[in-house]
Amino acid sequence: MTDDERVIVPVNFSQADPRADRPVRILVGQAELKLSQDPQVVLYTAPLGAGLGIAIYDAEAKVGGLMNCLLPDSDLDEKRAVLHPAMFMNTGWAALMTCAQQLKAAPERIRVFAAGAAEIMDDISLLNVGKQNQKCLREFLRQKGFILNAENMGGRTNCSMELSMATGEVRLRFSGQIISKFLCKP
Amino acid sequence: MQAISDYVRNLRYLPPAPRVVPELMRLINQPDADSSRIVNLISYDPSLTTNVLRISNSAYFGAATPISNLQDAVTRLGFQQIYQLVAAATGAKILGASQEGYGMEQGDLWKHSVTAAAAAQLIARQRNENENVVFTATLLHDIGKTILSDSLKGAYSKIVAETEGNGHSLLEAETKLFGINHAELGGQLLQHWNFSPDIIAAVSFHHTPKNARVYQRLASCVYMGNMVACFMGHGYGHVAFAQRARTEVLADLEMTERSVPQLMMDTFEQMQLIEAFFSSAVPSAA
Repeated sequence: MTDDERVIVPVNFSQADPRADRPVRILVGQAELKLSQDPQVVLYTAPLGAGLGIAIYDAEAKVGGLMNCLLPDSDLDEKRAVLHPAMFMNTGWAALMTCAQQLKAAPERIRVFAAGAAEIMDDISLLNVGKQNQKCLREFLRQKGFILNAENMGGRTNCSMELSMATGEVRLRFSGQIISKFLCKP
Repeated sequence: MQAISDYVRNLRYLPPAPRVVPELMRLINQPDADSSRIVNLISYDPSLTTNVLRISNSAYFGAATPISNLQDAVTRLGFQQIYQLVAAATGAKILGASQEGYGMEQGDLWKHSVTAAAAAQLIARQRNENENVVFTATLLHDIGKTILSDSLKGAYSKIVAETEGNGHSLLEAETKLFGINHAELGGQLLQHWNFSPDIIAAVSFHHTPKNARVYQRLASCVYMGNMVACFMGHGYGHVAFAQRARTEVLADLEMTERSVPQLMMDTFEQMQLIEAFFSSAVPSAA
C-alpha cells in the first residue's frame, strides 16, 4: 500500500452558525487531523510535546488543515497506522493532502507550517523524540517537494498550534505563557 | 539532609498527609490480603471514599449496575485497581491546584502526573518491577513542585536565564537559585509522610536514577514515565523539557531504538484510562 492509498476522509467540520460572528474553535487532539473551508473555524491542537503540529493552508481556495502527530513513520506500527493514520507524520500527511485536494486546494498553492517537537537536553537520540521528528519532517517534505514556510520547532517548552480558516494565520501558545504568538501572518 | 528536613517541617503550606495510601499498599502486598480490612481503611476517610466511588462509576470503569459501596467496588474491581483509584483520588487532591511559580495552570501538574504514572506502570509491567510501587512513585514524583512553586514565583526570568543562557536543567536551576530541588524536596516530604524507602528513593532521584543505588531500576521507571508524559504533550509549565538525558536509564530498562516510540504508542492506548483518573477525581480546594 502506498502512502496515498492509506487514507481516511475525516469529517469536514463546518459547525458554525452562519449568524454567529465569533470564531468556532475546534480541537485537533493527539493523533488527529482535521480540515475545513469554513471561514468561522479556527482549528487548534492539544499540547504537542515532542510531537509535531503541521498546518497547511491554501489562501486562494481558503482551505486549511491541521494535524497533531506523535511519531515520524508508520513503519513503527503499520497496523496502528491503519486505525490512526494521523499518529504518524507520513500517513497523516497523505490523508491531509488527499482531503485538502478534495476540498479544491492545490498543492502548488499550499503553504506548510510546523511547530512542536520540543527537545530535552543532551543529544542522545533514543531519548530525543523531538529532534528525531524534526529531522524526519524536513527530509520528508524535501522528498515531497514542499518547503516549510514557517516553523517553530524544538525548544524546551510545550506548545499548541492553531490555524484560522478565514485568514491562514497560525498562532502558537506556549505552556506557562498567557498570550499566544504569531508563527505566521499571511 | 538535616537542613532540608527542617525546610519541610517548617513550611506553612504543607499539604495534609495522605494516610491511606502507604497503609493500603502495605495491606495489599500481604499474601493473605483481606478485602474487609481494605474497605475499613478506605472508609476511614469519607471524602476519599466518595472520590473512589465516583471514579469507579465513571464511564471507563463503570459496569451495567452502579457501584454503591466500597465492598462492592473492591469485589468488582480487584485490589490492584482499587489501589490505583485510591492513589489517584489522593493524588488529585494534592496535585490538582495550579503551580504559578512553574507556569502550570490548574490541573496541569495532575494531568502530567497521571499520564506519567500510567506510562511508568506499563514500563514496570514489561520489566517485572512492582507496578504499584512504580505507579505510586510516579504519581507523586513532582510533589516537591507544590512546595517549591511559591519560591519560584517571580523568578521566571532567572530560571529561563539558567536554562537557556547557562545550559542548566530545571532541576539544576532550582538547586542553584534555592539550594534545593523539587526531587529532593519530594523525597523528603514522602519520608515525612512515612512512605516506604523504595518510593522515597524513586521520587528523590527521578531525574538522577544512578543516585538511587539499590532502587536505581525503580527510579529509571519513574524517569521514563515522566519523559513519555512530556513527549506526549503532558509536560506543562516553563521550560518543562529542560531535563537531562540519562544513559543509565537506557541500560537499566534495556531500551532499543523502538522502545520510546513503542511506549508512546502504548501510553496513547491508555489515554481513556488516564482521562478517567484525570476528570473523575476532581481536585478539591481543601
